[in-house]
Amino acid sequence: MSIKITLTVNGVKHTNKVEPRMLLVHYLRDVLKLTGTHVGCDTSGCGACTIHVNGKATKSCTMLAVQADKAKIITIEGMATHHELHPLQEAFNQCHGLQCGFCTPGMIMTAADFLTRNKKPNEKEIREALEGNLCRCTGYENIVKSIQYAADKMSAPKARKTKKEATV
Amino acid sequence: MSTNNGNGADAPNRFIGKSVKRVEDKRFTTGHGRYTDDIVLPHQTYAAFVRSQYAHAKIVSVNITTAKAMPGVVAIYTGAHVAEVNGVPCGWQVNFKNGTPMKEPKHPLLVTDKARHVGDAIAIVIARSKEEAEDAAQAVEVKYEELPCEIDAFKAAQPGAPLVHDDVPNNICYDWALGNPIDEVNAAMNSASHVTTLEFVNQRLIPNAIEPRCYNASYDRIHDHYTLYTSSQNPHVIRLLMCAFVLGIPEHKVRVVSPDVGGGFGSKIFHYTEEALLTWCSKHIGRPVKWTAERSESFLTDAHGRDHITKAEMGFDNDGKIVALRVKTYANLGAYLSTFGSCVPSYLHGTLMQGLYTTPKINIDVTAVFTHTTAVDAYRGAGRPEATYVLERLMDLAAHEMKVDPVELRFKNFIPPFDGVTQPGYQTQVALQYDSGNYHGVLEKGLQMLGYDDFRKAQKEAAHNGKLLGVGFSTYIEACGIAPSSVVGSLGARAGLFEFGQVRVQPTGKVTVFTGSHSHGQGHETTFAQVVADKLGISMDDVHIVHGDTGKIGFGMGTYGSRSLAVGGTAIVKSIEKIIEKGKKIAAHLLEASADDIDFANGNFTVKGTDKSIPFANIALTAYVPHKYPDDLEPGLDFSSFYDPANFTYPFGCHIAVVEVDKETGKVTLKRFIAVDDVGNIINPMIVEGQIHGGVAQGIGQALFEGAEYDNNGQLTNASYMDYCMPRADDFPMYETATQITPCPHNPLGVKGAGEAGAIGSTPAVVNAVLDALWSGGHEVKDIRMPLTSERVWRAMQN
Amino acid sequence: MELTGRHKVNATPSTLWNMLMDTDTLSKIVPGISKLEKTGDNSYKSILEIKIGPVGGSFKGDLQMENIEEQKGFTLKVQQNSSVGNANAAIKIELIPVTIEETEVAFDGEVKVTGLLASMGQRILGSAANVITKQFFTNLDHELAKQQATS
Repeated sequence: MSIKITLTVNGVKHTNKVEPRMLLVHYLRDVLKLTGTHVGCDTSGCGACTIHVNGKATKSCTMLAVQADKAKIITIEGMATHHELHPLQEAFNQCHGLQCGFCTPGMIMTAADFLTRNKKPNEKEIREALEGNLCRCTGYENIVKSIQYAADKMSAPKARKTKKEATV
Repeated sequence: MSTNNGNGADAPNRFIGKSVKRVEDKRFTTGHGRYTDDIVLPHQTYAAFVRSQYAHAKIVSVNITTAKAMPGVVAIYTGAHVAEVNGVPCGWQVNFKNGTPMKEPKHPLLVTDKARHVGDAIAIVIARSKEEAEDAAQAVEVKYEELPCEIDAFKAAQPGAPLVHDDVPNNICYDWALGNPIDEVNAAMNSASHVTTLEFVNQRLIPNAIEPRCYNASYDRIHDHYTLYTSSQNPHVIRLLMCAFVLGIPEHKVRVVSPDVGGGFGSKIFHYTEEALLTWCSKHIGRPVKWTAERSESFLTDAHGRDHITKAEMGFDNDGKIVALRVKTYANLGAYLSTFGSCVPSYLHGTLMQGLYTTPKINIDVTAVFTHTTAVDAYRGAGRPEATYVLERLMDLAAHEMKVDPVELRFKNFIPPFDGVTQPGYQTQVALQYDSGNYHGVLEKGLQMLGYDDFRKAQKEAAHNGKLLGVGFSTYIEACGIAPSSVVGSLGARAGLFEFGQVRVQPTGKVTVFTGSHSHGQGHETTFAQVVADKLGISMDDVHIVHGDTGKIGFGMGTYGSRSLAVGGTAIVKSIEKIIEKGKKIAAHLLEASADDIDFANGNFTVKGTDKSIPFANIALTAYVPHKYPDDLEPGLDFSSFYDPANFTYPFGCHIAVVEVDKETGKVTLKRFIAVDDVGNIINPMIVEGQIHGGVAQGIGQALFEGAEYDNNGQLTNASYMDYCMPRADDFPMYETATQITPCPHNPLGVKGAGEAGAIGSTPAVVNAVLDALWSGGHEVKDIRMPLTSERVWRAMQN
Repeated sequence: MELTGRHKVNATPSTLWNMLMDTDTLSKIVPGISKLEKTGDNSYKSILEIKIGPVGGSFKGDLQMENIEEQKGFTLKVQQNSSVGNANAAIKIELIPVTIEETEVAFDGEVKVTGLLASMGQRILGSAANVITKQFFTNLDHELAKQQATS
């Protein structure tokens, strides 16, 4: 038995028939071939599969594809717009926030959601926000620095604008 | 971290020594990495395994009738189907003390007679989809007859213990010793005015690369050719072992590809049974077959690390000088010999017992034992963290017992500085000759960063206020840059440990580098390109690094033992030297000079003392369009080199941990972690620092959080991320790192290796710090078993 | 895992004994049981639906009573298999008269588990077992009350 679902992934509308037991992460990877979302465990412990469902960071291994019917989904492949990297993507490169890269998409998706809720996080808040994501390579420090870097960068353009307005 | 000019002061380096941002990051941060599980081949099938639920059981019957009839099932194979196929081999032969070879029982692709650990593979089910394969695997009926099991290495080696392999008496794979004759060590120990004795367990760890193991094998019937995609650290080694030892197929008919690999930490070095079995299956079913481990399966089947039971004694004279070291270790090998399982507790462990100290008499004795547990093999550091743990725990404990400062005790016993160039290397009592070292330097730097005097004052004050603060030291050395083939060969290695590097200059002057090293997070595409770009005076954009494909790269021994830059990087440098030498001949011809009079610098070939010069790109073009060309020279500009190192490299350093222990709960909080590492010259300080961070986190993980827990029935009771305590972001403070540079005297880059240092040095520093905290509160505790959970620390304080 | 405990029941040993020997009653009081079929004098085939923390499954297997001493006790041997692991137990059950109308049920045994049950479920197996035991005795009390009400 298959169920028809329609959802928007990275701005593109998809309609597919899926088995009811198919996990959302497998739908993204196997049906849509969006392999940037990774599977690192089977107990929702590692966070490598984190995506945005209707704007909220979600571990895509905890959801069935059928539950995502009508949802708006962003995956790591949808983070760069018009060939311009998201500030977090740039930050992870600048601060050496990744090594093997396997946990990186999940880290970036978790951090992106976190930064919408906390625009000026301190170190402790960032570390706590990463509770649900495992990295075995970096020892986390450079991930923390990357998120700090992105937070600064994301609040910077506004600051510049205000400055400009002030001088006019 | 300080930057360094790895190429000597007079050559202007544009990239070497700089924290160049990684070129590989773009694909990983945008979701375009390509890991093995991302690869789906035409007519792909999927495999699932039926694995033993018992640690030790006779397999009475395996009934596949129901499973075979289930939807989507393509094939099911059991041990009987592969009974004629060889098992996977062990890559290192260690001999018993009496000279007879170690016991080497067969490690079959699927078991037939008995299961020897939970997770032992009994059958493989192949179906059109992963779900169908898993459904059918659950329908395979296995009748077991449970047998008694043993999980503890010491108990398993006692007479009467249940046997893992019927033909291995007392489960002993080998007994082995290294160092000075035991009589001499005993005599020196008896002469000591103080002997510090410590008995402890270096617990079993699970490597936990976040990418689970994954293989995808296919067979092309028309060309009689196999392709295996594998999440491996060393595709050429896998091809060699699988073709020559397991399946008996010629290597030129097999291509092994390791694309992007999501972390290894040692666990992806080994040739696993699943790799060979999938390759075998792909021919039998005529379709590609893929298997990706579930995480719970990874816990049960990825080779584990550590698991030593040790008694160590260190003797001191009146003056606090070490006079003898005696170590006895029972090393748990698990149920089978993994690829390097035999050499980890012996040659990678015993050879490091000198540490940084002038100890004149050393004997290390190791009994390697089979148990009904998952195989144990190299995990980040492999033997060297265990050796460091022995020495550094002894040092802090001895200082406490003798009421001297642990720092002073170290300074008193350090080997004096030597550069390995004007002064000779240091010959240890345990076979190795250290290349170069300045051990005082790293400890002094660490003490400065710590503010040692202030810390001791603060500690006293804290104790006065009922708070437990502690500091722990670890001054480590390791042997990496593995390894000189003739040396390891004489010690039992069944392979050479050289590396291959090919530099192909394209006609336009762009460069493609083929390396036998494999990057699974280390950033070779950046570091190697920095070296090549500087050596050839070209842009980093003009260098492309290719790795991980036996179809493209001549040969390779892969990445482990912190060897990539020291061995793999040097192979590339050797090829560059050949390129430059040939380039000089071409330039000499074009400039009508003698090749001896041509200099190469900054990307230009120049006639010495003149301004006549030709850029590198023009020479490249001439090599491929050889119209005006020396008669005796072949066209083309493409060289390969095999580099076999002259010695291991010996990075060292000083790690310092500061902890606070909660008196009420026993909870340990890591307040500071200082790491001063000397890894020789540094090509990319940012990447080196990242390697140190990761290693340190794993070492702290061992001290405070991690450990495999088997119950008495041989069940691994924490085989998931809900149960096994993986360190998370909020478990760590910001690390305080620094480097000292003592170049390696025997490779042209002067580099030593940085991959494992963090994991080797850090663990004892943390445990020492916790004990120091307890001592400051008057708790006389000798040892707490790792990981130092709140409960264990609390219990230790109650005694 | 050790499984031990005691529970006082408002019934005589003989009433209790009869209940424990009756397939219908047993299927009502054993938690999670979906099928119980007598296969011999003292043996049964069963299907149990049990969830232990993150691990749940349908267990199929045999129940066997051994060392039977009428109205005094027996050893219950359980071998249950499932896709999430097997459970193997030998539990000694004793009926000890306390007063004329009260009997204490004492049980003592060991449960061995394998598979996912062992690797993921074991952490909370003890507390899950407590819940299941409690449920068993609640059901037993309930069933007893029902029987006493109808008689």
